[in-house]
Amino acid sequence: MSRRRWIFLACTVLLAFILQIAVMPQFKLFGVQPDLILVVAVVVAVLEGPVEGAIVGFCGGMLEDIVSPQVMGVGAFSKTVAAFLAGVLKEVFMTYSILLPVLLVFIVTILELSVNQLTLMMLGQEGLPPFNVVGLVLPAALYNVLAVLVVYPVMRRFRFIQKEESLILAKPGGG
Amino acid sequence: MPPYRRNRIIIIVIIILCITVVTLYVRESDTGPLHKIQNFFLDLVSPVSNLFSKIFRPVKDGIVNLFHLPSLSKEKRELQKEVESLRRGAAESKELEAEVEELKRLLRWSEENAQLETVGADIVGQSPSNWRRLMIVNKGSSSGVKKYMSVVTEEGLVGRIISVGSRSSVVQLITDSRSGVGARDLRNRETGIVEGRNEETMRFVPMNEEAVMQVGDVAVTSGLGGTCPPGIAIGRVVEVKKRSEGLARLVEVRPFVRFSRLDNVLIIITPEPESVILKEAQ
Repeated sequence: MSRRRWIFLACTVLLAFILQIAVMPQFKLFGVQPDLILVVAVVVAVLEGPVEGAIVGFCGGMLEDIVSPQVMGVGAFSKTVAAFLAGVLKEVFMTYSILLPVLLVFIVTILELSVNQLTLMMLGQEGLPPFNVVGLVLPAALYNVLAVLVVYPVMRRFRFIQKEESLILAKPGGG
Repeated sequence: MPPYRRNRIIIIVIIILCITVVTLYVRESDTGPLHKIQNFFLDLVSPVSNLFSKIFRPVKDGIVNLFHLPSLSKEKRELQKEVESLRRGAAESKELEAEVEELKRLLRWSEENAQLETVGADIVGQSPSNWRRLMIVNKGSSSGVKKYMSVVTEEGLVGRIISVGSRSSVVQLITDSRSGVGARDLRNRETGIVEGRNEETMRFVPMNEEAVMQVGDVAVTSGLGGTCPPGIAIGRVVEVKKRSEGLARLVEVRPFVRFSRLDNVLIIITPEPESVILKEAQ
């Protein structure tokens, strides 16, 4: 992947992080809010590959961990695992249909919340909340699905614009 | 280096990094470097979060109202009353007047509870995590705030401080599933614990399983936990569900505090939570 592409991804992670800490809590419904960093990591995993998704998941998760009152590194770990798995699953299905990221986001949201809770449980964090599937996990997954319906088309569009630009630049006399 | 090998190394490095950070964080004390970094960035982010909270308040209210259409007529009546009272005011803006009203209520509560020394704080953010019911306030150790101090409004108990930065602190709401508050039923004087469930209501677990709990009973803090002064209103029993044999009853308590409308709170500085005093004495 080109340097320009990495810069674009870094800016995307930063934007997702800012929106996650500043804007998303304002859209909390019934105690649930979209996890924009996870959604972006999954979309990157689908468009670029599992390793790129994992890197985005790690960086975004770590940023979020640093400004949240929770065990540092757990969010980064769960998002890394979730995004990597999404990228691996994408390579199995090999399609750019929007249904794929929708399905993947739904699955990996459940996985990410499970990994997060399991890790905290292994660390001996007392008084963990019950794994509330109906009240928390499913609404969170559905909320993330709504977010991916917006994020995926936008990021895919940017990806093609960048590819077209790089093709023009690569042509002799293309500028 | 072949790409598949490079990718494998990247993934391994990331996983090792995560495990290292988690291990260091868990093993160090509350004053360790990673905790300090976290508190520093929490202080840094709080004003930004506060700004966005103010900008998005109208949008958020609009969305929340969509989901509360059935209760809108009742809310409308309450709002009409509020508008009437606001109109009596002079040229001051409506938002400013509401804020002054809230501060007055807090001050009144503070005067009524003169034995408690309090410090006022603004809510500047909420937890970005779906697993926790937390709020961030703009007062920290520089204002005398310490861990486990109780947070109240004139309506009742809001929660307790679980993390303290120099200029901001994190409040664990009483509805958070990790929250447990020593409570007393005002009618029958039975004591117990009010536990959060990450839902709108909490659960009252009486010490005496045979205690007669009734809908409408008021729960106040018992002061037995050592972190919260006694007599602060928590909520009202709204449902007593009988369960099958062998299972405890589910006594649901609705908090008096309306968390979605909180702007200002009071942090009880003295008496200090016993756990803090004991820790300092050691």
